Amino acid sequence: MHVIVCIKQVPDSTNVRINPETNTLMREGVESILNPFDEYALEEGLRLRDAGARLSVVSMGPPQAAAILREALARGADAAYLLSDRAFAGADTLATGYAISCAIRKIDPSPDLVLFGKQAIDGDTAQVGPGVAEMLGIPLLAYIRELSAGEDGSFTATVSTDDGEETVEGKFPAVMTVLKEAHAPRFAPLAGAMAARRAKVTVWSAADVGADPARCGLNGSPTKVVRIFPPPSKGGALRVDAREDADAAAAEILRLVKEKGILPQ
Amino acid sequence: MSDAKKTPVETDVLIVGAGPAGMAAAIALRRSAPEGAKPRVVVLDKGRSPGSHVLSGAIIDPSGFEGLLSPEEIGKLPVEAHVCKESFRMLFGPRKSLKVPWVPPLMHSRGFPVGSLTKIAAYLCSIAEKEGAEIYTGYAVTELIEENGRIVGARTGEKGVGKDGKPKSNHLPQEEIRAAVTVLAEGGCGILTGKLAEAKGLGGVRRQTYALAIKELIEVPAGTQTAGEVMHTFGYPSADGTYGGGFVYHVSETQVMAGYVYSLDYRRPETDPHLLFRRFKASAAVQKHIAGGKTAAYGAKVIPEGGYYSALKPYFPGCVIVGDAAGLLDSLRIKGVHIALQSGRAAARAILAELKDGRGLETYPELLERTRGWKEIKRVRNVRASFRHGTIPGIIGAGMAWATCGAFPFWRLRGFEKPDSAEMEPLKPGAIEKEAAGAPPASPLSPDRLTDVFMSGTIHDEDQPCHLKILDPAKCAECRGRYGAPCTRFCPAEVYRLEEGRLQIDFSNCLHCKTCKIKCPLENIDWTFPQGGDGPRYTRM
Repeated sequence: MHVIVCIKQVPDSTNVRINPETNTLMREGVESILNPFDEYALEEGLRLRDAGARLSVVSMGPPQAAAILREALARGADAAYLLSDRAFAGADTLATGYAISCAIRKIDPSPDLVLFGKQAIDGDTAQVGPGVAEMLGIPLLAYIRELSAGEDGSFTATVSTDDGEETVEGKFPAVMTVLKEAHAPRFAPLAGAMAARRAKVTVWSAADVGADPARCGLNGSPTKVVRIFPPPSKGGALRVDAREDADAAAAEILRLVKEKGILPQ
Repeated sequence: MSDAKKTPVETDVLIVGAGPAGMAAAIALRRSAPEGAKPRVVVLDKGRSPGSHVLSGAIIDPSGFEGLLSPEEIGKLPVEAHVCKESFRMLFGPRKSLKVPWVPPLMHSRGFPVGSLTKIAAYLCSIAEKEGAEIYTGYAVTELIEENGRIVGARTGEKGVGKDGKPKSNHLPQEEIRAAVTVLAEGGCGILTGKLAEAKGLGGVRRQTYALAIKELIEVPAGTQTAGEVMHTFGYPSADGTYGGGFVYHVSETQVMAGYVYSLDYRRPETDPHLLFRRFKASAAVQKHIAGGKTAAYGAKVIPEGGYYSALKPYFPGCVIVGDAAGLLDSLRIKGVHIALQSGRAAARAILAELKDGRGLETYPELLERTRGWKEIKRVRNVRASFRHGTIPGIIGAGMAWATCGAFPFWRLRGFEKPDSAEMEPLKPGAIEKEAAGAPPASPLSPDRLTDVFMSGTIHDEDQPCHLKILDPAKCAECRGRYGAPCTRFCPAEVYRLEEGRLQIDFSNCLHCKTCKIKCPLENIDWTFPQGGDGPRYTRM
């Protein structure tokens, strides 16, 4: 069994601020991290690897994005691939999905399972995973919170929906996007980090993966970011001071909740 | 690759801590060793990324970089400003202050780089990596391994332990690293260093004393301030003659570092250093520098300021101690970065001899004494104790040390004897007045403590055992009666608070500054290591 996990390097959003004058992200002092949702996708991949699967990881980004691939290697991935080329710059979700699907085909024309995090915390679109499924022609299962693979290429997955959850049985191949309710991500052992430091991260250009330049980067992106702005603050929040008397505050909150009809009767 | 964890990790040199001292050792080790005989150098740091746990003023005496970095590398230091205008002010109150007309030349720093030590540490890490040192962040080294009277390596801390103390599904066990030489570069009040020093009698003539340093990075409107201007203050808001002072550094046209350093030998239990810091910022002399600004980042650490007589014996078989961990700090200028760098280089020389011949590590203390930094520490050896007798004797002491190059006073001034007598009473018991009444109103320029903590970026996995251990809960009750739980005030991160009379410890706020370990009057708090990678996330402190 071959599992491919797609991961992304993102700015640590807990630190991101928006310049109020230019409405651009203030990147100073903001670290780059492995997208937190992808940690859960990686963990599901590692669990399958623990059970004997082969695990590859792939990312697209500037050369420094190799850092998150090394982190994945340190945790136990077998091989790492980075798509890095100026031709990919400015890609929207469609062009990103296209580039990733080209890379996946090159890694393995028939992978059993391709995993994504539910979404990336920078763009929040949750579109690349489903896009790749479409381009690869592999069935998609989005928002999984649990996954177990059988011996015969079958799987059982638990999927969260708006109304509850579904248990889905199926056969690989599949593309899945993983929720944070899945297994807690593991830590890289020091020995793993040491090995990953020496391990190879394969870097590919658009040409290397046979991608059509017209479908990559800005050229291949039908959507454009016209303007970035922080949403206007709605204001009007009610504050209940609980510092002096927590019980009274709780009673007041309950009264307000009833009064405003926040809870369904 | 997790399969590799069964094989033991072996290295020539293990460096604990990726701050300036550890990085200087790493760079010098790799650069000085002949081609083909480069030692394997492994650096472990508990911060999430290089520099995450590094904080300083900082005006840096550039002498420490000489000989360590190339002139091109020194030119590329991530520093935007050099000191172009400096002043010392005595503050008499919120409004009144006086510029000091003359200061001893050895306190001058004109032309020195002024900027973020977090960034400089990350830069040094990148150079060390290029030289072939291996830096792994997010790994806390929690214990040293001693065999036959020699340190032979260390163990990393576990990860993935739940708050109930039981392993979680992602549990990562301790790992062992065997090293021919271990370098302790933990910074001020290092936990491993402290334990080793106590067990092996490596302490100085006097006990180490610490000051708590609290700092904010404030963003000010463009066009209002001058990059490179710096101001040091003393006097107000220090209430009772406790050694303390403030600083304001314009590290760029729009960024100001404002900080307050307060000696932890203060005696009034109601003291709240964060409140003093806010009063300092609210004073007219400081407002001039930060008006219209907004706090953007926050941090705190302790500074070992005991100087010459408190420095540790920095050698034990198989192990050397460098930088702040060894107490290597010029206690007059409160400068340690250049000395840390020099100590790292001196250690590297001794280590290379040891790796080559199996001996030579013991020459490190001697090599250290030959550095310029050590000579500075020696020159001002009595100044700190002079301040123990008040500000004026302190300044006289500083002037005399300068005028006589440290020869006078030639005797060892009293103060800070080892705590071998029962007289040691760091805090005066007594009624606790609530000081908060005098707090400046909260504003973007004067955040309260919790808002500041948020801006430090500190975070800990809350599903882990609390790393701040109360040794005897009964003592906390005793302390509340006698001192009014001073931990609820001295902690710059509001980790400790009283909840219906019970001590509540919000360890996730912890900035790893160690103030609680130092200042708990009943020595009832044990600072242990939280999960590696947790703690502050400084990026430009």
